[in-house]
Amino acid sequence: MRHPTEGVLRRLVDEPAGVSDADRQHVADCPVCLVGLAAAREDAAAVGAALHSDGAASPDPAAAWQRLSTALPARAATPAPAAPRRRRGLLHRPAAAVLAFVVVLSGAGVAAANDWLPIFRTEQVAPLEVSSTDLVALPDLTAYGDVELTGDGGPHAVPDAAAARAETGLDVPEVGALPEGVAGEPTYQVVGELSGVFTFSAEKAAQAAAASGESLPPLPVGLDGSRVRLTAGPGVAAVWSQPSGVPTLVVGRAVAPSASSSGVPFETVRDFLLSLPGLPEDLAAQLRTFTADGSTLPIPVPADQVETSQAEVGGLPATVLESHDQALAAVVWVDEGVVTLVGGSVSTEEILAVAGDLG
Amino acid sequence: MELVRPPRPEAVLALPGTGHRSATGGIGGTDGVAVARAVPGTVRADLGEVFRLEYPRVVGVAARVLGSRDWAEDVAQDVFLSFARSSVPAGEARGWLSVAAAHTALNLLRSGRRRASREETAAAADDAVAPDVADAVVTLEERRRVRAALARLPRKQAVALVLRHSGMGYADVAAALDLSPGSVGTTVRRAESALRKELDRHASSD
Repeated sequence: MRHPTEGVLRRLVDEPAGVSDADRQHVADCPVCLVGLAAAREDAAAVGAALHSDGAASPDPAAAWQRLSTALPARAATPAPAAPRRRRGLLHRPAAAVLAFVVVLSGAGVAAANDWLPIFRTEQVAPLEVSSTDLVALPDLTAYGDVELTGDGGPHAVPDAAAARAETGLDVPEVGALPEGVAGEPTYQVVGELSGVFTFSAEKAAQAAAASGESLPPLPVGLDGSRVRLTAGPGVAAVWSQPSGVPTLVVGRAVAPSASSSGVPFETVRDFLLSLPGLPEDLAAQLRTFTADGSTLPIPVPADQVETSQAEVGGLPATVLESHDQALAAVVWVDEGVVTLVGGSVSTEEILAVAGDLG
Repeated sequence: MELVRPPRPEAVLALPGTGHRSATGGIGGTDGVAVARAVPGTVRADLGEVFRLEYPRVVGVAARVLGSRDWAEDVAQDVFLSFARSSVPAGEARGWLSVAAAHTALNLLRSGRRRASREETAAAADDAVAPDVADAVVTLEERRRVRAALARLPRKQAVALVLRHSGMGYADVAAALDLSPGSVGTTVRRAESALRKELDRHASSD
């Protein structure tokens, strides 16, 4: 009888009941296999000790459940504490980061340039369906280069529409008739221009590929060190809330995202990023389809949560998003480089009515 | 997605791909892509029960990768939030959660942002006072090396290794990773062999 595989020897170490009687008998009588078994046992013990973590022994499920509850939608109906903020920043949402970047990158094609060159300017919005598991599986963008962010410190409240306009240069859309259940005066939020520069690093990308057990695709000439800059904003939003503080209607407007690149042709960067290990092929293929139209901003939408459809607002194509439970609806459209969103816990019909009636 | 998320009105400005800056400087409307988190009524009904049953395991998986309970609990939060809005069949929850915890923790490990944790600090103190308690005592430096090596392993090997060392049976690991039951041992063995070499290589050069 031939020797059992190293995998069988390994299983003998800690799950011998899963190994056949014949294999067990062979190993017991075979000096060669006994040596292999001893080696497997030693390696398993050494690695087990190295991976051992005392911290794993005593998690606090009650506190963890409390924390999770504050971040969950069902509990969001009560004013939610800011606890999840640290967690969000901590993990940097790596999957989301690369997806967002790829989404913008997938928007356009352009010839080579030696300086910053506009490569993408949002003129339309289209849904891009992803699943939660895709998000978990995607690689971390920072594994492929350096990311540097500049711009506004984040959204903040302003007293009124005039102040919002003064800070951003954008008119706050005026809502005609409020939907049923929405009342009172809105509060106003503004955000300044935000931008981020991604500098591609061949060395980092190679390390990342090796870490995931994949080989890096051939590196196009000039890609190493090339940069892509993403810019968005400023933006304004008017928010209507219930007395409890839960928003019921949001009307927002922002200068639409744009991207520019330096050095290599844009397609080179885009195609290379799309070919990186870890990006699900179906998602990459879906992203590539956006390249035919250089002005479309794909919005990643979780297929199991949100339905999308097309509509018109003021004669412009618009994307409607509606949660499957019909508790929330939103519509997004772009007009001359400015993206507008109307969303809230009202019906799709009401959202479209508000959108169509914006002043 | 953020676009339909009422509890945080500022999110309306965080369109995907807008370069929106997150709390600690992530890029690209990252929050905007972490979609539908806050759509009321879409949290799965069995979340509480699954959480009660699986939380310690999920933390355990992440802790083996990261060596830190604090960070492992952060990872577990992220994983359960994803699970809460997923439609993963209840029968596959354990495998899904474990694999997600391993991937998320490995991503974090690979990103190099992990800080020295309280556990590592404590381990360092232990190393200083009782270096030779038993064969199983592993130095802080060894822990760091093995985790660096873990981050460099082929992803499937790393995940299989972590799941097995977290107590998941061979058949369950096979099901969770879509491997044949027979290949789990081989995959784990190769991972252990690679990590052991890494430990020995440094031990011999010390």
